[in-house]
Amino acid sequence: MSLSNLIKNWSTLRVKRPYEDQYKDKDYKWAMVIDLDTCTGCNACTTACYAENNLPVVGKEFFGKGQAMHWIRIERYWGENEEMEGKFPDRGAQFLPMLCQQCEAAPCEVVCPVGATHHTPDGLNSQVYNRCVGSRYCSANCPYKVRYFNWWQYPERAWPNPLEQQLNPDVTVRSKGVMEKCTFCVQRLTEAKNRARTEGRRVADGEVTTACAQACPTSAITFGNLADDKSEVARIWARQKVDLAKDKQDKEEDLRGYRIFEDLRTYPSIVYMERVRNFEA
Amino acid sequence: MTVRMKIMLVWLSLLMICGSAIAEPFVQGGAIGSQTDDGFNALGPVVEQPIEFPHNTHAGQMGINCMYCHTYARRSAVSGIPRLDKCMGCHKLIESVKDKPRIKKLFEYWEKKQAIPWKKVHDLPDFVRFNHERHIQRFYFREDRPVREVCGYCHGDVASMTTARRVKALSMGWCVSCHQKDHLENVSTTKTSNGPNDCWQCHK
Amino acid sequence: MSSSIIDRRGFLRVLGISGTAATLAGCGNTSIESGVELVESYVQPEDFVVPGVGVYYASTCAQCGSGCGIMGRVREGRILKLEGNPQSVISGGKICGLGQAGVQVHYNPDRLTTPMMRDGDGLKPVSWEKAGAALSARLGASSPISGEQIAFLTGEISGHQRVLLDLFMDSFKSTNHVVYEALSPAIGQAANKAVLGVEQPVLQIDKARLILSFGNDFLGTGPSPVHMAAQYARFRKAPRGTLIQIEPRMTLTGANADRWYAIKPGTEGIFALGLANSLVQHQAYAHALPADIASVLKLYDKETVSELTGVHADTLSHIAGMLWENSPSLVLAGPSAEGHANGFQNVAAIQLLNLILENNGKTLQGQPAHPFPQLEPARSSTAALAKLDALMASGQCQTLLVMGCNPVFTAPAFVHFAKHMEKVPFKVAFATQLDETANQCDLVLPLLSPLEAFGTHVAGYQPKGVEVMIQQPLMERLYPETRAFGDILLDLLKQRNPTAYKAFPDYYAYLKTAVTKAKPVFKSSASDDDFWEDALRNGVLHLELPPTGLQAHTEALKLGKPQVSESDTQYPFYFVPSIKADLRDGRHANLPWLQESPDPLTTIVWDSWVEIHPSTAAEMQIREGDILSVQSATGIVRVKAYLFPGIQPDTVSMPLGQGHSQYGRYANDVGVNPFKILNPIFDERTGELAMYATRVVIKKTGENAMVVKDEGPTNVQQGRKLVATLAADQAALAKEVSRVTQ
Repeated sequence: MSLSNLIKNWSTLRVKRPYEDQYKDKDYKWAMVIDLDTCTGCNACTTACYAENNLPVVGKEFFGKGQAMHWIRIERYWGENEEMEGKFPDRGAQFLPMLCQQCEAAPCEVVCPVGATHHTPDGLNSQVYNRCVGSRYCSANCPYKVRYFNWWQYPERAWPNPLEQQLNPDVTVRSKGVMEKCTFCVQRLTEAKNRARTEGRRVADGEVTTACAQACPTSAITFGNLADDKSEVARIWARQKVDLAKDKQDKEEDLRGYRIFEDLRTYPSIVYMERVRNFEA
Repeated sequence: MTVRMKIMLVWLSLLMICGSAIAEPFVQGGAIGSQTDDGFNALGPVVEQPIEFPHNTHAGQMGINCMYCHTYARRSAVSGIPRLDKCMGCHKLIESVKDKPRIKKLFEYWEKKQAIPWKKVHDLPDFVRFNHERHIQRFYFREDRPVREVCGYCHGDVASMTTARRVKALSMGWCVSCHQKDHLENVSTTKTSNGPNDCWQCHK
Repeated sequence: MSSSIIDRRGFLRVLGISGTAATLAGCGNTSIESGVELVESYVQPEDFVVPGVGVYYASTCAQCGSGCGIMGRVREGRILKLEGNPQSVISGGKICGLGQAGVQVHYNPDRLTTPMMRDGDGLKPVSWEKAGAALSARLGASSPISGEQIAFLTGEISGHQRVLLDLFMDSFKSTNHVVYEALSPAIGQAANKAVLGVEQPVLQIDKARLILSFGNDFLGTGPSPVHMAAQYARFRKAPRGTLIQIEPRMTLTGANADRWYAIKPGTEGIFALGLANSLVQHQAYAHALPADIASVLKLYDKETVSELTGVHADTLSHIAGMLWENSPSLVLAGPSAEGHANGFQNVAAIQLLNLILENNGKTLQGQPAHPFPQLEPARSSTAALAKLDALMASGQCQTLLVMGCNPVFTAPAFVHFAKHMEKVPFKVAFATQLDETANQCDLVLPLLSPLEAFGTHVAGYQPKGVEVMIQQPLMERLYPETRAFGDILLDLLKQRNPTAYKAFPDYYAYLKTAVTKAKPVFKSSASDDDFWEDALRNGVLHLELPPTGLQAHTEALKLGKPQVSESDTQYPFYFVPSIKADLRDGRHANLPWLQESPDPLTTIVWDSWVEIHPSTAAEMQIREGDILSVQSATGIVRVKAYLFPGIQPDTVSMPLGQGHSQYGRYANDVGVNPFKILNPIFDERTGELAMYATRVVIKKTGENAMVVKDEGPTNVQQGRKLVATLAADQAALAKEVSRVTQ
């Protein structure tokens, strides 16, 4: 962002975000819904993400040090509150696909000392690799722990020839010392937006989706444009009565939609749908 | 962390952004190059190509539209080097120059069905996502400006060169300097707009 | 005629080297100087090939036998990513993680690039001339071998590759085509055939109100996981069906159950008969069974069943109640029920429930007869492998050809496959990468990857109608010395019978002729070329056929008194191997994405482990990471302990697929191979290996090592509302907005 833009748009930049109807007249606000009842924990999304976004395979040693680079991971929980001692998990496992929540009030954005992470006009939390100096403040401040740091020069080790030929040319291969995270497949979004602009229209619902949503064998992930109130994502958010700009929803008993750590006032862009279990079984 | 500290941090980072925006023009440019009239170090080295392609003949003398050959520019992020059969489409029929050394070379590549290994002249860092299509659509098709002006804004007056040479900075400050300008939305209005200033529009 | 398409594919060639170099260097490390890199340029591309724009081509996934239709994104001549092909009924436009990793088979840095021939102790690269000469000398026109002197060992193989292979074996008057898939459901298929009249009924998961699954992992490792996952998604929408899973060790499907029960391994059939006994006492089901069966069933009262299976007696009544309240239901048997000495009986007893509950025709249907049975996959069996093993041991087998099968790794240690293989004087492997079996061969021929070759596939499981899947190259071959399996076979066939095959210059021509000949079956009036082009474009030939009916042979079940094998004091633990959806029998352990993809239930990566219930671990004072020795009557492995609540306390489990020694940089020296400690126990009716019947003793070695996993220090949510759960009767699913509906 340049100085002149900053001054010109000062009135919009200084208000508290998000605010009511922030995206009402905008073209895009990318958002997601993940149905935890149909998510089976199969990991198709994570592998699709490796393929789409040039994620390096770090190997056993670095994985063991917590340096895995999976932008989307499946967390698995057994119990809600108590440890599983001497018991069976008789309602199955609890799987949680965890990825960058593209918060509207993102804790990572405000702590970056060099302005490498920003909020885009489409409501994405951007990460600009060439600006990043690797302070890792953003990761420290992220309550979801979905930012991943390049501790090593992976381009030199992760893609021995000819594996590098698989790399997606639309996505930068990150080098040592920069932070990275889920982008909602911004390369796909940019392509779709450019195409739509050339044709003088808005990106249609279903025209573009993320790699994880495209792969998901149970279609548990829905991706789309919240600014378009006819999009599937917007209709699910509306039906589930989740308001982007609220930190506490008026939840009805039979609705499944919720956002994770909403009380931290991060205003995430991902709505999770509660897992359902037939407790009579 | 207190609210006050947070606000301070926001301000600090904002200051840094502004600082870098101001500093930008003075840190640009390659090893070779002189300052051009728009204040940026720009001029690139002469690049030796496998065939010394005369842009001045094609675009200058003959007045061929840039996009006749660089046909992908209006529909892809990259403008692309013309396909070899495009060259042949004309040159098979132009008897008068068939014996010239450059055309002979062209025929040699064609007979071997080998793509000509052209070298990149205008190269951007891999973290940049420049889109030819959007610029051409906006300025050539919507604003109806002359093609030599639209392409020339970044590529210089190629019609006066033989093989192309970089004459513009292609640096971020230089890009932003244009994105900040007020551009007419289309030919029939006085309404203006700027280029996008969202980091992710250009950075990948 | 045929070459036009091949020429058109010129654009699949990687053009210019700059694309790759530029991508890799990343983040400002490449030069931005003028004149350093090359621009991609084309000679004569198709009109739709635009630099910078990805184009999708249809093909077929060859990672497992499901035959999913896929699309590959091709840009600047490189295949970048695979997606599901919406034209394919099987994949429905979706793809699993295993399928995604297909690109890493193709780009694997340990790919075989030239033919290799044995020279002393090792394999040395040789030219195709030399390799071809060795092949012709043994298998050419003047080859004296025939009948049982030659054997062709493959994994599951279908389509025209199989046709050519059959023709090849016919030319030697041999029937020795042995199909060996270590994880094949051969016992279940035999029992299904006996009870229902079909080997694999077509499941209508989405139509079921209640699914009772005995260890069937249809979401992870079933016959068509991607298709079944889509059915499962509809099953979970209003009116939401209920899934009950009963198994000794929790599978991925079990992890998604509404209710999960642990059961003693091998007693699934007894529990099923207990349920049957309970059901036939109900008015509606009283007449479902012949009197003689009904009378024996009475021996399976709930107290007896409970004692033998370890499942609470009330649970049995409860499930029986659920079954008659929720119709139609679907009862499934899985590998953990099949893999026992009484495996056949277990599956037959489980299918009996479907008969009693009248699910046949509703949630279970017969697969329509395939119009091209010669293209269907040949059935696998461990019995056939045992026969081959005997032939090799006796020295009768003179020539062994191997493709897509690695028995040196997957056959249990008691088979001594590697030792017997040494007695065969001429062994040839066809492979994309050297593995343990290929390393023992005398000649190894490098194959094209599935993303470089033409081909056809027919899935063993056809969910709707029947399909012939078309595979086409998504990229020019990476290595000039690699060849298509079909081309090598065709060359050999031409040597043996020059006149019969002279019309086909190559496998492509053969394939095109064969596929276009099938035109009338698909009711197409297009020209041959158009039909073929359409087939390539769609990636699938679909024929809508109605499902067939199922039979009911209750007599297939040999009912006796309920009994289980006696406990074994020397080997106190049941040993349950677990099948990972991505590594399967170990053939995918060479793919780095899959090694780094956490196991869904334990979140462990790059390793083997032994799962043990926390209560057992507490008793034996075992902590996570303690290295245990797991010993059976036939072998021993040392492996880290992982405390896992989803397992019977008297059972331990280890994942299959790891423990390679000669399978490239990503697979070697990762974990241990549990195949090697399986005991020689066989299903009594089919003679197939009973994979879940081994018993082991575990001992602490005193060592401990870190378990590398994604899971954090806690595996509970601690009230953070990460994964919230709503009771099914409270959720208003019918009012929800969703693409996926029943």
